[in-house]
Amino acid sequence: MDKSYRDLFFGEAQEYLREINRALVKLEKEPADLESMNIIFRLTHTLKGMAATMGYKELAEFAHQLENAFDKFRSGKIDFNLEVMDVIFESIDAFAALVDDFRENRPFSIDTALYVSKIEKIIARENKGKVIEVKKIEEDIKIDIGLIDKFKEEGCEVLRVAVVLAKDCFMKGVRAFLVLERSRKMGTVVKSFPGEAELKEEEFDYSFEFILATRESREAVQKELFKIIEIEKVDISIFDLTGLDKFEKKVKTNVPYLKKIQSMRIPVERLDKIMNLMGELAIAKSRLVQTMQAKDYVALEETGYIFERLVPGLQDELLKLRLLPISYILDNFPRVVRDLSRSEGKEIDLKIIGSEIELDRVILDDIGDPLIHIIRNSVDHGIELPDERIKSGKPRHGKISIKVSREKGHIILEIADDGKGIDFDKVVKRALSKNLIKLEETINIDSAKIFDILAAPGFSTKEEVTELSGRGVGLDVVKNTIESLGGRVELESELGKGTKFVLTLPLTLAIIKAMLVSVGEQIYAIPLMNIRETVKINKNDIKLVKDLEVIRIRDEVIPVIRLSKELNIKSFKDASAAISVVIVEGRIKNIGFVVDNVLSEQDIVVKPLSSFIKKVKGITGATILGDGGVALILDVASIR
Amino acid sequence: MGTKKRILIVDDALFMRNLLRDSLVRSGFEICGEASNALEGVEKFKELKPDLVTLDIVMPKMEEIDGISAVKEIINLDPGAKVIVISALAERKLVQQALIYGAKDFIAKPFTCEKLLGVVRKVLGE
Repeated sequence: MDKSYRDLFFGEAQEYLREINRALVKLEKEPADLESMNIIFRLTHTLKGMAATMGYKELAEFAHQLENAFDKFRSGKIDFNLEVMDVIFESIDAFAALVDDFRENRPFSIDTALYVSKIEKIIARENKGKVIEVKKIEEDIKIDIGLIDKFKEEGCEVLRVAVVLAKDCFMKGVRAFLVLERSRKMGTVVKSFPGEAELKEEEFDYSFEFILATRESREAVQKELFKIIEIEKVDISIFDLTGLDKFEKKVKTNVPYLKKIQSMRIPVERLDKIMNLMGELAIAKSRLVQTMQAKDYVALEETGYIFERLVPGLQDELLKLRLLPISYILDNFPRVVRDLSRSEGKEIDLKIIGSEIELDRVILDDIGDPLIHIIRNSVDHGIELPDERIKSGKPRHGKISIKVSREKGHIILEIADDGKGIDFDKVVKRALSKNLIKLEETINIDSAKIFDILAAPGFSTKEEVTELSGRGVGLDVVKNTIESLGGRVELESELGKGTKFVLTLPLTLAIIKAMLVSVGEQIYAIPLMNIRETVKINKNDIKLVKDLEVIRIRDEVIPVIRLSKELNIKSFKDASAAISVVIVEGRIKNIGFVVDNVLSEQDIVVKPLSSFIKKVKGITGATILGDGGVALILDVASIR
Repeated sequence: MGTKKRILIVDDALFMRNLLRDSLVRSGFEICGEASNALEGVEKFKELKPDLVTLDIVMPKMEEIDGISAVKEIINLDPGAKVIVISALAERKLVQQALIYGAKDFIAKPFTCEKLLGVVRKVLGE
């Protein structure tokens, strides 16, 4: 199959899965919403057709089974309780994992049969009109680990026995009971699945399992159980807890919430615009040749204007191609919040505003994880448990809101919760005890300072580290990621009221405004976003404070760094009296960079560096200048 | 196998006794006795010492002995006794009780001839 079809398939599959997830979250909130179920069914059906066309047999087969199941959900009177929803969510995740396996051409990471059987069980059960508490045998067994160890110490073998009864068997409940009774003659039945009460009430299909601690051999147990009639199959295996761990891990780890954007769709309209501009550009080019041949300088100047109009237009249109609505990321979040709040026992509503706003694809790819981290922080540390909330006079449901807005060349992302807020005193105390700050710094503490503390590596205020928010790493990663994109993170928090993170991001990374400066023979570009001002000073204005060179501007003491020294280049102007300083804004401190000359301000196209020089300190990329020369772009954050 | 296995049928319905006897005899078992109530069943068990007993779980009480207590009695007399309980579908609790007392297996009415022979052979260990 052609590679372009392949890309198309995976791009679309990703899109459909996202839509399915969205519909599922909606369905869970409004179980009566048949439309959501229809969407899920229809998309699964489409996925099946696509997978079959691509020749992905296993994928098509799985989709087919899911489709069947969803069809039954659609027609049957299924109660979409949490447990049912969990199974559906898990299956969709498994399907997504399988899609990934196909994309990466790697062996399958999931066992589709497991999910299919789970769904079938639910359908079989739900269709009877009964809702029975079914616990995974794995979960139940956890409680009994101590018991199982005890049996092992006593020299018993602990077996997991799976029994399938004949389909024509009458009174299967009693039959199951007989199997258990007979097993008890050989040892101890630790646990059965479903539980014995359910078995007795015939609330199971024809198979059940139990854990048997016995001194008999597996063969003996099997032989004895086969003495009972109407038993079709008896599978006995050593009950293995390590195996269980693996099983659970597998289920858990194959769910990355966010996927890198692999391909994107472009509206035909945008392509047409670009084609038009290109056409005009081609005409302008031939006009340029003509006027040059004719040496008609007036016409040449006019032609220059035409280029000046066309090229930025083309640039703009091409840039827009890289823009994607932020919903690409945010659409995943209802699901993230659902899963996280469930595992934390909290009730949280997520509100998203402005998800249609567009952002550069590269930025979108990078902000997903930081956003998830902030959301996790809100779920884990911010929003209180329902009871706590009611006690403090808040509505039972916590609220998290994500608001996206555009402001000049920036995108502002506000993530706010109405949780308990950050206890500044507690943070400060802990920071002191961990020697993260000095005592004199605790005067005039504000939310910016608090954020710095929280983002310091290895800081966590919650007594025990939860699975959710990681191990104290997190906010520092959030901060670094956003800053490396040329953005900023700010924190606002009020105790008892809630916490708000404000992320400011550039619209795009591809083209930035920059100040060109020279140091020795080299030209460097400093992103304008980072620059506060440029000043000319006298050599004598630089003073030494504890081996640090500083200058004083309007009563502000600013440390200066000589770029020639920092980057190890020979400066032409070391000895001269007049010195140019570019003052760069840091969130904590401003820094002055001493350069030879400040050249000009212009739009530059950011080109990534090849991997072999990517890690050079102080440089983030390069750009090609008007005269064909290359200027390196300074990474201000890493130098200061 | 040298000798035919001897079976005692305990059932209050003549129809059932005949059905059971015909099916079992045709398959090479010996019906050593029949009883039409629980009390008689226990007496015959003591007297005949059969290899296997089929016992209807629902029978009228005779001197405080019904189907379920007959199972208990028989197992008390011989813990190794092989009792197959025959019951109708709705009698789950009774059958469970019988199994707790030590009945080896059960068969629910209506049953096919194969099923009957299957359970009898399995309980006899054939």
